[in-house]
Amino acid sequence: MVITGTSKGMGRAVAEYFVTKGYRVVGCSRGAATLALNGYSHSQVDVSDERQVRSWIRTINEDFGRIDVLICNAGSVQSALLMSVTPGDVLQTFLHTHIAGTYYVCREVSKVMIRHKYGRIITVSSLGVPLHLEGTSAYSATKSAVIEMTKILAKELAPVGITCNVFSPALYMTDAAEAMGKEWAVRLLEKQTIKRTVTVAEICNVISFYVSPESGPITGQVINMGLVV
Amino acid sequence: MTEKDAMKMIEASLGKLKTDEMIAHDTVVSGSLPLLGPGSPLDSIGFVAFLTDLEERISIEANKEIYLVLNEISEFNINQSHLLVEQLARHLVKVSEEK
Repeated sequence: MVITGTSKGMGRAVAEYFVTKGYRVVGCSRGAATLALNGYSHSQVDVSDERQVRSWIRTINEDFGRIDVLICNAGSVQSALLMSVTPGDVLQTFLHTHIAGTYYVCREVSKVMIRHKYGRIITVSSLGVPLHLEGTSAYSATKSAVIEMTKILAKELAPVGITCNVFSPALYMTDAAEAMGKEWAVRLLEKQTIKRTVTVAEICNVISFYVSPESGPITGQVINMGLVV
Repeated sequence: MTEKDAMKMIEASLGKLKTDEMIAHDTVVSGSLPLLGPGSPLDSIGFVAFLTDLEERISIEANKEIYLVLNEISEFNINQSHLLVEQLARHLVKVSEEK
């Protein structure tokens, strides 16, 4: 199982969860590893750098011979500003991390999966997309793009038994979420249908559903946790 | 690596695809055989698998990391999506010789 963005937040928790379930997990982040577990290995990779991603995935393929599951989690969270005053740098960060990063990782992993005619690709979007949350114009636009590219990839890879699905977690408290402030979290919870944060076990339950062998016919789908769309 | 060696490598990759049942029939490789576009023995997914296999072979042969990027093939026009064996063979020779 390959997971991007595993040095902190949801990615780290998900990696830890699946290692404890017996998966061999390979993670990455721009910084050093923060997880030291048997069954987990880490690489320093900037997913928005095409060359780094190519080299990383090739190395994984050489080391393990296959990739069964990809969780494309790496993302960026920055303070919410109205679009009228959002700096271009913020937009560029989201474009690079969410769109280019997800694109490069999915593209390279899909090449490995195609040869084995099997794979599960899971990307992470956001409730900001269906909620059209104020202050997330750049963030949600790029997370919306993640859904679109996943659906297209799902159609392209369906003939070779690879599924591609998306999940949008409900509010999960990470350092990044804490940094956004309590008021922000309260406002987000008010907009969710199920007005509470979710646990890593609940997030991993969604991932496990997508990964399950019985989920072979489930592709191009989006699960919005805690929200009726 | 010569262009002839490169064509042999292309033939080996196509043979691997046949073994893996990604293409139905044996392919007779000639310079004018289309690999992408009308007349190609490969469908879209088959072409991806072919390029991936070829990347591995040429990286081993040249003993360096090589990635085959379509728009870096000088004779390939991405808007026409048409690629012949001889065009790819020439590109393989070029990238294998690059420092």
